[in-house]
Amino acid sequence: MSAPEPAASAGPGAPETAASPAETAEPSASPAETEQPAADEERAPSPPRRPLRQLAVAAAPVIGVVLLFGLWEFYVRAAGVHVLTLPPPSRVLRHLVAEPGFYWEHSLVTIREATLGFWLGFSAAMVVATFMAHSRFMERATLPTIVLLQSTPVAVLAPVFLIWFGFNIWPKALTAAVFCYVPFVVNAFTGLRAIDENAYELMRSVSSSRWEIFRKLRLPHSLPYLFSSARLCLGLALVGAVIGEMFAGSTGGLGNTARVAQTRLLVDQLWGSIFTLALIGVIANLVLVAVEARMLRWHSSQTTRS
Amino acid sequence: MTEPGIAASTSEGGEGPEPRPGPDGQGLDQRPSRDGQGAVVSLRGVSKWFIGRNDPTHALSRIDLDVSDGEFVSVIGPSGCGKSTLLRVVGGLVGYESGTVEVAGTTPAVARRTKQLGFTPQTPALLPWRTVRRNARFLSELNARRAVSEPLSEQESVALLETVGLGKFLDSFPNELSGGMQQRVSLVRSFVLGAPVMLMDEPFSALDEITRNEMRYLLLDLWARTRKTVLFVTHSIPEAVILADRVLVMAPRPGRIVRTEHVSLARPRTTAMEDDPVYLEHVSRVRAALHEASAR
Repeated sequence: MSAPEPAASAGPGAPETAASPAETAEPSASPAETEQPAADEERAPSPPRRPLRQLAVAAAPVIGVVLLFGLWEFYVRAAGVHVLTLPPPSRVLRHLVAEPGFYWEHSLVTIREATLGFWLGFSAAMVVATFMAHSRFMERATLPTIVLLQSTPVAVLAPVFLIWFGFNIWPKALTAAVFCYVPFVVNAFTGLRAIDENAYELMRSVSSSRWEIFRKLRLPHSLPYLFSSARLCLGLALVGAVIGEMFAGSTGGLGNTARVAQTRLLVDQLWGSIFTLALIGVIANLVLVAVEARMLRWHSSQTTRS
Repeated sequence: MTEPGIAASTSEGGEGPEPRPGPDGQGLDQRPSRDGQGAVVSLRGVSKWFIGRNDPTHALSRIDLDVSDGEFVSVIGPSGCGKSTLLRVVGGLVGYESGTVEVAGTTPAVARRTKQLGFTPQTPALLPWRTVRRNARFLSELNARRAVSEPLSEQESVALLETVGLGKFLDSFPNELSGGMQQRVSLVRSFVLGAPVMLMDEPFSALDEITRNEMRYLLLDLWARTRKTVLFVTHSIPEAVILADRVLVMAPRPGRIVRTEHVSLARPRTTAMEDDPVYLEHVSRVRAALHEASAR
């Protein structure tokens, strides 16, 4: 498979290999009752806690962002950069606070398009990946189409979708969907196919149906893969929606406000649109991370072993 | 590593182990079962070929075998001798070319469909998204409508988990457990199914020797509580002997049973028995038979 697999590294780490070193350290004669979980042994020799250091680590992401904006602000003011080239972030933020209704309204348009596109891309990918996971023929027949789509800069499809559907939400949503489809289908297929052979044989040993194997083995196994591609696709769905708004005719959405701002040299509106898009992306990611932490408590990527 | 004297006594028709001179070699085992019922697993002249890309392999050649109710039978042999294939034939997971196989009074395919076979794979194969408690019940949940035998209840399965020392880890996820603990869940899972016949395919092969030794006695404990019929494939001679009522030694090309060793050790088996001369004698006889099987 030549498509990139962002989930490959985040795939379910084999639990037995992860835990086995602790096993050898067990006392030999003692019966099962006295045994400690592997996690305990790893935690025992950790260094004493230093509250200040912990606080710094916790605040690091915020510090990073503040530092970026601080440097930006400082550079623009100190070097006297023209506001049309690069406005200071404080000015953009003031503008945003002054016009919340405008950005809220256009955000909703873009979010609607991106969400629709995200789910369309996801649904199509799940259907295709399910067929691929169950049939060698489907797998071999579908892989080249995915590579083809992946090699195409799909943004050029936006005008096509405009011709097909006209001036409504669909060209934007479809552009977003096409952006999301490839990462979703590759990861969904990997997740549905790369199941534990022994678990599969175990299910076969009691004549589990295909549907049961799908629902109880393949689908849960694909969840970590789906979540890691979902992170990627949240961003891609926004990109797709914005490109759709810019190239597939629109009267609303943040891609549109940015395009209009560019033609009329409305520097505040241009940067206001950019900031709002960034904010949407960040919030969507935070929501996803929270959902993932809830749903993948069992997964080794969630290192909160409490 | 084989002493010539022992090797000599293993050759076909050699005198059997002292107390129970059962039929040696590939003969039918007519030993009455614990409950006086007939064989639960019965193979007659079973042959199987694998048609590979190269030459066809004679995986099983005219296998005759009877396993009575509640019996514990170990199957040992060099790699490629067909012992895993034998297990899969009985389990209805692979077909066979000739002969007849009867499991729990029916064909392997029907036995599989009606969930009368408790399979324990080589790796724990736990589902990482299920807690220990729910992993133990996994097999019994599947294909539930066609199950003939009653699975253990929730309380009974928890009791088994407690037996193997997992009482404190009922709600842990597999990635929080050591390899040995995971394998215990796997064992319990196959017993919770409540199937009359248990098929175990080298379930301890991935464990270190110390853990492995512990697991043998845990398995015997579970077996003693449920009195199921067990077919246990292994690579380890001590394991084969300490667990089983009977050890079948298989040889490859073609895959066949070359020796049957009746283990005369009393039940329940204990660690102390591993120093018993009777045990050691069994071990050395099995070793000699294995040596001969690999040499051919």
